[in-house]
Amino acid sequence: MEKKIAVYICTGCGIGEALDIDALSKVATGEYKAPICKQHGFLCGQEGVELIKNDIEAEGANTIVIAGCSSRVNYDVFSFGPDKIVERCNLREQVAWCHPAGDEDTQMLAEDYLRMTLAKLKNLNLPEPYQVENMSKTVLVVGGGFTGLTAALESAKAGYQTVLVEKEATLGGYVGKMYKQVPMKAPFTELEENGIPALIKAVEDAGVKVYTSATLEKTAGAPGMFDVTINQNGSTVEERVGAIVLATGAKPYDADKLGHLGYGKYENVITQAQFEEMAVAGKLEASKVAFIQCAGSRDKEHLPYCSAACCIESMKQALIVKEKNPEANVYIYFKDIRSNGQYEHFYKKAQQEGVIFIKGDVTEIAENDGTLTITADDHTMGTQSEADEFDLVVLANGMVPSAALGDVVEEPAQDEAAAAAEEPKAQAPTIIKANLLNLAYRQGPELPALKYGFPDSHYICFPYETRRTGIYAAGVVRAPMDMLYAQEDAVGAALKAIQCIEATAVGQAVHPRSGDMSFPEFNMTRCTQCKRCTEECPFGAINEDEKANPLPNPSRCRRCGTCMGACPERIISFKNYSVPMIGNMVKAIEVPEEADEKPRILVFACENDAIPALDMAGLNHLEYNPWVRIIPVRCLGSLNLVWINDAMAKGFDGVLLMGCKHGDDYQCHFMKGSELAEIRLSKISETLNRLGLESERVRATTVNIMDYDKIPAMLDEFAAELEELGPNPMKDFQ
Amino acid sequence: MEQNNKPVKYDLNFAREIYNLENGSYIKQCMQCGMCAISCATREIMDYSPRRLFNLIKLGKKDEVMQANTMWNCTSCCTCKARCPRGVPIIDVMHDLKKYAIQNGYADYPQAAFYKAFWAEVAGRGKVFEGGVTARYYLLRGLDEVKKAMAMKDVGLKMLKHKRMPLFPPKKIKGLGNLKKIIKKAQEIERREAR
Repeated sequence: MEKKIAVYICTGCGIGEALDIDALSKVATGEYKAPICKQHGFLCGQEGVELIKNDIEAEGANTIVIAGCSSRVNYDVFSFGPDKIVERCNLREQVAWCHPAGDEDTQMLAEDYLRMTLAKLKNLNLPEPYQVENMSKTVLVVGGGFTGLTAALESAKAGYQTVLVEKEATLGGYVGKMYKQVPMKAPFTELEENGIPALIKAVEDAGVKVYTSATLEKTAGAPGMFDVTINQNGSTVEERVGAIVLATGAKPYDADKLGHLGYGKYENVITQAQFEEMAVAGKLEASKVAFIQCAGSRDKEHLPYCSAACCIESMKQALIVKEKNPEANVYIYFKDIRSNGQYEHFYKKAQQEGVIFIKGDVTEIAENDGTLTITADDHTMGTQSEADEFDLVVLANGMVPSAALGDVVEEPAQDEAAAAAEEPKAQAPTIIKANLLNLAYRQGPELPALKYGFPDSHYICFPYETRRTGIYAAGVVRAPMDMLYAQEDAVGAALKAIQCIEATAVGQAVHPRSGDMSFPEFNMTRCTQCKRCTEECPFGAINEDEKANPLPNPSRCRRCGTCMGACPERIISFKNYSVPMIGNMVKAIEVPEEADEKPRILVFACENDAIPALDMAGLNHLEYNPWVRIIPVRCLGSLNLVWINDAMAKGFDGVLLMGCKHGDDYQCHFMKGSELAEIRLSKISETLNRLGLESERVRATTVNIMDYDKIPAMLDEFAAELEELGPNPMKDFQ
Repeated sequence: MEQNNKPVKYDLNFAREIYNLENGSYIKQCMQCGMCAISCATREIMDYSPRRLFNLIKLGKKDEVMQANTMWNCTSCCTCKARCPRGVPIIDVMHDLKKYAIQNGYADYPQAAFYKAFWAEVAGRGKVFEGGVTARYYLLRGLDEVKKAMAMKDVGLKMLKHKRMPLFPPKKIKGLGNLKKIIKKAQEIERREAR
């Protein structure tokens, strides 16, 4: 596409008062020879938009630069169709609103930002959407329990062909074996009949293709084109599906490990699952029953987490005891009652029915004349307590996700040369061979786990989304939860699967960069098979052939650019995001000579949190250091070290990376971006020292969107430290 | 609170008796959050906060509960009842506990004597005569208390002088018989509604 650039400078919102607009126009028309450059007092108004549209029609402008507000606002107003490039230059939030009006430094800042935007255009092209061949819009649900059935039903009801795979011979899972189920509707106080038979019927009526006694032998491919091999009773079937909902549920925690609570020692100490069996068989005849909560949960020796459903299940079972025998005495020993949300009503109901709740730790269970005696530390009394003559003790033994049952995949042993180099490396994600999906992915056969074997997801922003695009975890395999929550999860995950299918069909990214049509392209002739991209991709999007050549799967890609930052040969680029593009932006900034005493600090800021935080600082009119020049990046994971080389060679006094928090409770939308950037930085510090540059000049920091008020201090502090180091010695050599 | 090392046993019989009082069953839905305790204006002078009292009831500690001054120090200000997240009408429960204590012979607190004197006055006359309440109270409390009462005579005389207290009992109200019928009926309803 032959670019015809038109620059529009908005003078509204205080921009006109803060800057010399004519001087700014000269940057566009003089330095960058833009054929059209106009200013308007209210560009996002009807008249302003008409002005642009006229130029598109009359002059043939196809590359529009809007110098005004942040790209986070008015993106719908400044949209002129898929065949026009629109670039935004942020003169409002990052210039006029956070720097003094009419100041010389403010003007220099605005001119640099316009230069950067115009320089960016050189290597920027319209993305062409990636088209999947033989696209399938079928949804595959793995697991036929409560969550799986609900997800399958929802996806079928939404009009999508659905395939359900269940390991057991019958559908229903754990809930299917229950005597009664907890309330699922207001007023949340009444026990309900088991809803699974009705749910199974609805699933069958909706035309879901069901495979029972079946497992997934292999899952290959990518969103829109997953090829799954289903093994049913020894024979295999192939299915092509568009997206997958993983609802393989959980297993009760192994009660044999709960010998300290009398399990295995006394036959009347049972688990919640055994209680259900007794109730179904009609063998429940007890007049004094105790339930022991957190039997194995919230216990460092057993499951460190709260299993979320046991409190409510025990209340349900207590009410079943009361229903059968209203005179029965029921005790529930608990650490904390966690009856979340609406289930608080259920807790109150259990109390009203006379169930006795005792906050305390059970210290001993003993048998006396055929009945059981419980000794406990009663926390509300502050003393030891004893209760006897129990006919039955039920252990609420918690749950273990099915994704956690299996051996951890060991990292392949490093060859000696690599070990000798001792390069700092990001830790590979934990992958447990749970035999659920058997992915044909280079990074391992199952979903990467975060904590306790639950699949990793960005739980704050995208709970169902795992680290494998197009595969959505729902229900207790994802996190411990009660039935109401699992139902919501199933619906959410089914909708996410459908969203993924539809986005893939038009070549768009699913999340978090929804709608993005660019994807990484590899210039394979220069590839050195270093494996960095295939190893570092947080989403396992890139497979490998036998010769270690990367095999990209664009529909698995989330467009973070981590591969682009990783590649030492710089052969990976997007149509509208590339190493030379950012490099040109760095080079476009004017760095004054040492004598001018105007230092320059380059900031690479993550678009997800750091850029919004910087915009918020502007919205709040917080003044910050005028020496900074900010370049937004898709993710700090896309940071290529050559940009830092360029910046230091150009004479910048310092480079600051603003990314997201990493670690177990990471906030990075792409899981590892900021961590990888820091690891890459540690590699370059030695090089900097060798060049006579202090490595302190380049550093990484983490901000979240609420840290906007700390940004001015953060930048000032860095500027002060750079001042102590003195100017960059490379400054006048360029 | 007692601090011996012998494990306590849960005795549900006393709890059942209390749950059968008019508002007693509400105690079951107490979740021991302590909102009543931090809301109570007289918590500092109570033996147990309402929360602890309810817990003792659950455990069956009859003597501790009945000998506690908690209900006697409740001023019925209603703050706890308004704030209780579980909707326990705590002041009504306190009234029930006071009545239960008197009926079961746990009436050692001066407040108990005052309640009795006040009630006898109202039931017998239809209205309150301060002299009568005072006299009944001290008589109920015994001879030692009468001596103490004599020490208060100056206050009494001043009140008489300023007409804050009438010297002679007022007339009974009209239709005292009807009032007694009303009271009798109310007591019947109370018994019926207690679960």
